[in-house]
Amino acid sequence: MKKQLRHALNAGITFGIITVFLFLIGFTSIAADLLGDLLRNKNGGLFLGLTPQMLNMLIFLGLVGLGAGAYGSRKIKGQAGDPWGPALIGGLTAGLVHALFVGSLALLVGTLNLRGVQISKYLAEVLPASIRLFLLGKDPLPGAVIHLILLTLAGLAGGLLSRGIGRGSWRARSAANRKNTWNRFTQRSFFKQVRGNRATRFVVYGILLLLVFLVPLGAGQYWNYTIGTVGIYILLGLGLNIVVGLAGLLDLGYVAFFAIGAYTMALLTAPTPHHLLWNFWIVLPIGVIIAAITGLLLGAPVLRMRGDYLAIVTLGFGEIIRILSKSDALTPFNNGPKGVPSIGGPTLFGRLFNTGPAFVYLIFLAVLLVIFVTNRLQNSRVGRAWEAMREDETVSRAMGINTLSQKLLAFAIGAAFAGLGGALFASRNQFTGPEDFNLMVSINVVAVVIVGGMGSIPGVIAGALVLKGLPEVLRQLQDYRVLVFAALLVVMMLWRPAGIIPSARRKMEVEKDAGVVETPEEGRGK
Amino acid sequence: MPNAKSPARRVTTYKIVQTVIGIIFAGYLLWRLYVVFIGNPSYGADTWARFIIAGLILGSVYALIAIGYTLVYGILRMINFAHGDIMMIGAFGGYFVFEALKAIPAPTQSNPNMNFLDANPILSVVAAFIVGAVIAALSGFFLEKIAYRPLRGAPRLVPLISAIGASIFLENAAQLLFGAQRRDYANPVILTRGEGWNLPIGGTTVILPYTGVLTVVLSILLMLGLYLIVMRTRLGRSMRAVAENKPVAALMGIDVDGIISRTFIISGALAGAAGVMWGIHLGLVYHFVGFIPGIKAFTAAVLGGIGSVPGAMLGGLFLGLVESLGPAIMGINFQLKDVIAFGILVLVLIFRPTGIVGEVLTEEKV
Repeated sequence: MKKQLRHALNAGITFGIITVFLFLIGFTSIAADLLGDLLRNKNGGLFLGLTPQMLNMLIFLGLVGLGAGAYGSRKIKGQAGDPWGPALIGGLTAGLVHALFVGSLALLVGTLNLRGVQISKYLAEVLPASIRLFLLGKDPLPGAVIHLILLTLAGLAGGLLSRGIGRGSWRARSAANRKNTWNRFTQRSFFKQVRGNRATRFVVYGILLLLVFLVPLGAGQYWNYTIGTVGIYILLGLGLNIVVGLAGLLDLGYVAFFAIGAYTMALLTAPTPHHLLWNFWIVLPIGVIIAAITGLLLGAPVLRMRGDYLAIVTLGFGEIIRILSKSDALTPFNNGPKGVPSIGGPTLFGRLFNTGPAFVYLIFLAVLLVIFVTNRLQNSRVGRAWEAMREDETVSRAMGINTLSQKLLAFAIGAAFAGLGGALFASRNQFTGPEDFNLMVSINVVAVVIVGGMGSIPGVIAGALVLKGLPEVLRQLQDYRVLVFAALLVVMMLWRPAGIIPSARRKMEVEKDAGVVETPEEGRGK
Repeated sequence: MPNAKSPARRVTTYKIVQTVIGIIFAGYLLWRLYVVFIGNPSYGADTWARFIIAGLILGSVYALIAIGYTLVYGILRMINFAHGDIMMIGAFGGYFVFEALKAIPAPTQSNPNMNFLDANPILSVVAAFIVGAVIAALSGFFLEKIAYRPLRGAPRLVPLISAIGASIFLENAAQLLFGAQRRDYANPVILTRGEGWNLPIGGTTVILPYTGVLTVVLSILLMLGLYLIVMRTRLGRSMRAVAENKPVAALMGIDVDGIISRTFIISGALAGAAGVMWGIHLGLVYHFVGFIPGIKAFTAAVLGGIGSVPGAMLGGLFLGLVESLGPAIMGINFQLKDVIAFGILVLVLIFRPTGIVGEVLTEEKV
């Protein structure tokens, strides 16, 4: 019972802090608007003297309260047939604590607002309008009391609901059910036949490719731009996947090679500052080669380091390249902070195309090429050497792998892919400048690889779609997307460190690691 | 040390390349020193004094932050990427204390418009430092509990990525909470920025700012305190034991998780104090304020030998000095001072990954 109470208390505090945070970053108002869109009640009349927006906000808060109660009443290890008592008390406690947090917040903000303190000067999102919404248009005390009662009740309801469903047993049962159904399905001979068949695979890939190639025709300019961005991130992700996923070298300055590719394209094809106006098709491979050479040059001195040291050094390199590219010293060479405008685009049969579906196709082709190369590399002797090196460098050296040259190779190939991505990026945007190459790009790409699944090609594609595509779909939440993205990074590491679509080997490794107690000396070396 | 006898030839080639680069670099540095001081002196003594003062102040802030990196790295062998953002939280804590105290009226007979901040400057500054340090320490505690503790024993990349995620999360949470604009730190009148003692050097006067003196003195005191904690107390002994060998420390009856939590609390508090110093001396806080100092402080920690507390202090001071003197000595644009800092990081990691006073690390740990 004591344990139960403590858990409920913790749940209440956690949810209380979360709700307060959500209000302070202005999310409660946005959530009310979103619910309004969802429930289509934006233009409804007053109900109990509340506008639809206020109702929606109450619904949102109620849902959070339900969550608090349900989580707070969770049995220590859920079994069916528990008495109702703990669920009731747990839900009530969690709900009450949660309600206390929200109620005192309402009281505090309301009072300050009444006294004429301009809260939004310090807390940017706490505007008078959102305070009015939060207090349901009432005075601070009644508003706070309403929140208190409502959220306590919500917590209670959440506790009872979770007991009613019999959460623990229900979950266990449904998991077993799912597994059974899946097994029954996969064990069928027809399915086995289809699955093992080479032809099916080609058909599936064919259909996928066809779909992918049809999309840009139907999409407008904005969506084509987004698709192109996702494509470029797939390129970058696949490149970094070789460095991080296969060879196990964490590179946080990957943007440097992206920048090299982009600047090569920019300086050789743009009218300013050099007026070279070279052909896109000639510059593209040059950009790739220069990026690869830079990869070799930067890699040579630093690749003897391991793990986090390498991460920080590469981060340093990335920043050096960005700072140099916007410094006065290089301004005559690359226009400095102003950036390079009117970068040339690709021509085909005398026609210039650097916008619209045609360029998206070009990016697709590049992605296909990179997928092909990665796939061949991964299954070759080189790829196996990389993976061996990632697992244990000392042993792989003992097996006769020249780790230094293999690392250099991985670094150079990764850099080449980034150069390709950068060149395409510059040509598509027709403009490039130092601010395109900040640290966030590197971190985004790392996140694409990690979230998708290290060492797995479908994983990288999924990661790029999730991290670069999904935020565009949820534009209403634009302000919050980096926050969500960062939280996602942490949550992924906690719950699914192998990524969305893990590579088979990586998955095995992480699952194995999770069960092993760290021994001091080995644990440090990794 | 199984790696000590790896193939001899490759090591020598690498050593030769290393030495050649080292000699070239050292030669260049000597030549520049000659040019700047004897051949063609472009700065007077007063300018150098200004550079050194600025460098020492910056360096003592770096040193405080660097200690946090070093403590955590020493114990967990992980880079607490979010450490700079903990400093940002501390800076905001101090900012809000100053703003709140400024809003409290404390009229005196001579000046009816006096506010609490100017009436009790010492108390206010102490309050700001305490609040900043406590908030930052709490953030450090929860950061470890939420983002790092569940990952103990995972492959090394996993907590690093989690730390990166936490860092971005904190930055964006601060941006959403407080807005993206840069805010002026409201110092008490006696600590007005830019005012200080006038030192007569080289014919002109050089200002020794009050805020800078406060920063340096306070950070030296904090570092001394930390050194005493680590070396003289039971807690410090447990910390060192855990850093040495976790399982054995646990066998000796040390609560390893508790010690790790306390390490994060201590390093968070130091970073928070550094954040308040940053605000008081440089005057601006915003959500991104901790990022660059964080990376610089990491550089400082590596420079001094990561895992070593005195090393982090020395490294911080050294980096601060190099950053302010470097561009003048090397004769390059001041825009590129960050390049010098990162360049030093790269050079140190290549040539002497154990840092200035670092413990002898096997290649395994590097």
